[in-house]
Order: sequence, then C-alpha cells, then structure tokens
Amino acid sequence: MTTTLEEITALRGLRCRACGALQPADERYICGECLGPIEPEYDLDIFDAETLRVDIERGPASLWRYAPLLPVAPPTSHWPVGWTPLIEAHRLGDALGIERLYLKDDTRNPTLSFKDRPVAVALARALELGLDTIACASTGNLAGAVAAAAARNGLRAFVFVPADIEPEKIASAAAYGATVVRVNGPYDAVNRLCGRLADEYGWGFVNFTLRPYYAEGSKTVLFECAEQLGWTLPHHIVVPVGSGALLTRQATAANQLRATGLVPESHFHIHAAQPAGCAPVSDAVLDNWRPVEPVRRPETLAKSLAIGAPADGDGSVKIVRETRGSAASVSDDEIREAASLLATTEGVLVEPAGGVVVATAKQLASRGVFHAGETVVLYLTGNGYKGGPEETALGPVIAADADAFRLAYEEVLA
Amino acid sequence: MSVTVRLPTPLRSAVGGERTIEVDANDLASLQREIAARYPELGARVLRDGAFGRFVTVFVDGEDARFLEQNADLSTAKVVEILPAMSGG
Repeated sequence: MTTTLEEITALRGLRCRACGALQPADERYICGECLGPIEPEYDLDIFDAETLRVDIERGPASLWRYAPLLPVAPPTSHWPVGWTPLIEAHRLGDALGIERLYLKDDTRNPTLSFKDRPVAVALARALELGLDTIACASTGNLAGAVAAAAARNGLRAFVFVPADIEPEKIASAAAYGATVVRVNGPYDAVNRLCGRLADEYGWGFVNFTLRPYYAEGSKTVLFECAEQLGWTLPHHIVVPVGSGALLTRQATAANQLRATGLVPESHFHIHAAQPAGCAPVSDAVLDNWRPVEPVRRPETLAKSLAIGAPADGDGSVKIVRETRGSAASVSDDEIREAASLLATTEGVLVEPAGGVVVATAKQLASRGVFHAGETVVLYLTGNGYKGGPEETALGPVIAADADAFRLAYEEVLA
Repeated sequence: MSVTVRLPTPLRSAVGGERTIEVDANDLASLQREIAARYPELGARVLRDGAFGRFVTVFVDGEDARFLEQNADLSTAKVVEILPAMSGG
C-alpha cells in the first residue's frame, strides 16, 4: 500500500540510517535491507521559504500547522495537539544563573505530555493503513496518549507498561478505555514482549511498527520553539532522554528549518538530560563520547526516562557531539529539588522528568556552558499531575477557626 | 548443542520464510559464526563485523545479549530472539 502523503507533502521516501538505502513509504517500519531504523526523507528544495512560513502561520493552532514537513496528512479527526506555550522564565533563570531562559511547556497537551505529538502522527498513519487497533510499550506517558487518541478515533487500544509505574498513569490510560497490561520487569522487558506481539497481531504498535511516523511528531517541538522565537533557533535546548527519539529528532527539525530557509544559520546546541539511575546516553557523552552501554536495572524517580537500552542511544550521543552540546546525569535529590524550584519560581508543575531537565540546566550553567545573551530552552515534557516525585508536604488540618490557623501556621506567617 | 532462534517477520524471507531456525552453538560467538556460515542472507542483515549489529536487539531466554559475554554459555538456553530496535517510552 502506498501512502497518500507523497502527493501532499515533500516526502521522498524512507531512508535507512544504518545502510543509507532509500525505500518507498509503504508498510515497512524497518529497513528491508539491513533491519536498520528508517526515517522519512523530504525534498526540501520544493519549498519557497516565505510561502512556507506564511502557510504555517495561517495553519491550525496545533502541530498540524507543520503538515508540509510531516510524513502524513492530517486526519480529519485530529484534535489540537501541540502549539504549546514557550514561556520566559526570569525567576527560574535568576535562580539558575541563566540570562535568557525559556520553558517549552509541553505539559499542556491533551494527555499532559509531549507523547501526544508522536502519537498524533502515528495515529494518522494507522488510520491511513486502515488499522483497527493501536498499541504501545510505555513507561507511562505514551500509554495515556495512545489510549486517548484511540478513544477519539474509535480504535481499540492495548498498552503495555512496567507494573511499577505511577498509578495515576495506569488509571488515566484505563479511563480512556484502553486495555492496560501491567508487565513484571523493566521497560526493556515490556518492549521485548511488544516486539513479539507485533509479530503475532496486526496491530499498530506506535513505537514499533509505526515508528518511522511516530518519531516525526517530535520534530514539532523545535518547529514551534523556532516559530515562537520569531523564526530563529534557540542557542541551547535541554532535552530529557528516554529512548532518545525526542533528542535525535530535534536535530532533524533544526536541519529542516535551516534547509527550507525558515530560520537563518546560527549556533545551536542540544544537551541531554538523564537521571543518574538510568543515564546510558549522558554517561556515554561524559565519558568521552564512547558507545552507549545499556543499563540493566534502571532505578530512578524519573520512571518515564527509565529505558535502559535506548533505541536512539548512540544516535543521541552522535547528535549531542555534532551540535557541540553536553549532558548531565542528576540524582533523585537533585530531581526533587529542581522540580520544586520550577514549581515555586514559575508556577509550572512537572513530573520528575521535568526535574531532570531543570537539574541538568543547573549543572550546565554552573559549568559555564551557557553564555551571556544566549537563549536556553528547557523541554518540559510531562505534567506533575500525572504523578509527582512524592506526596506534597502539607501542613496540619485545622478547625475552622482563625486562631487555630495562626497557631498551626505560625512559622509560615512569620 | 542446538539453539532455537526466533525471527521477526521482516527477517523470515532471509531463511525461506521460517519463523525459527535451529543453530548449533555453545556461546554467542559461535552462534554468530554459525548464522554467518549457514544463513548468509540472514547474517548479512543482522551481523556487522561478525557480531550482532547495534540496531538489532538479541535476547537469550529474555536476557538482553548485550549484558552477556561473547563466551556466555548457551548450552542451557531455550530460545534466542532477534528483534529490531524499538522507540520509547
């Protein structure tokens, strides 16, 4: 089956990252030659920069405004995913010592995480292929995104998650009507199960059999940042790394923005943020760019980043190196402190992965990575209402009495 | 010692459409050598410089082979599974 998208976008085909073969955009999801990962390739020369810019600016307030640079046409049933705020963060910037700090607040997507973006594109492809069931292996956020998108489109959904993820994430995926399958073991074991099931059932596993399309949705984070900054790239982005798909696609997005003339040439650095309990990419970067060594048993508060064998791990290290970026791995204590600092300085509540990003930015700032006048964008990819680091420290319950209030909260009032 | 190797759909064309193949191997190194020798088309797809490429994931009874040494004993292994890399999370 041939996709319709070649008619409406600049898609040239799917290029293998391992062997370089260009192949048609049919049902394949890995390279037919070597099993390597395949990615959409576009004929960007067809665009006139000014016309493309105007078309985008007139487009919907969602990621589909970038449809010409996506591998599939927007489905009629789509809902507004993306086009999330880019917020200036002076108070957090002062606390971290970063002069021009911005937050890309992707916690405001329909299911409260950036995963709505890749799922939007994967789902459009699933509808194009006529699939009736979508599925995924998830550390939590993807489960909700898949479940909600399936509900919206009347599809059946199966989501497979490690049994120990945040109960809020399991509950929300189930509330959307998905069959939530809890699996004993880490994410990588869930992934293995899904790889097997993908072979036995004809379902659209968004992060497997729909992966070439799924990953493209992540480009739209940087497309938006550039547009929101007046069609210019930020100097630095700090990106949380789980599988590495988000990080690597930011480089793809930057290249496409430059190649189409949407943004001018400028220096642009991508930095990787990982928790110390599962930092295969950051460790490889900081250990002189060595190959990624998988983590056998991830142990971290940031469960959404607990992927020990990241599919785009080596790709992420390569991109960080090519963009002259850096990385950090941060402890659970640093994650808690950073998430709290963000909430109390900017009013943005994030899941622990957001704490990983803020803590990484703090480390990078203290290392002198950011220079005066440079724009720094932190990617906040998951909402704190999906499961914060721990129970909030609350004061005592009191009687409905003013004196009781003054007595119990004397310290706060002082 | 014969080991059962389970293949995903995209690789089966390399072994005449079979879902599984039986390979004589005592450890990972001999498994890779045997695949290269007996199933050259499969070997061309999954091996790089004689070892499993980084874009495939190999599991030995559910254990990621990247955590195993090349001389890891396969004599008690029930099944080796080859899967393409997946995205996250």
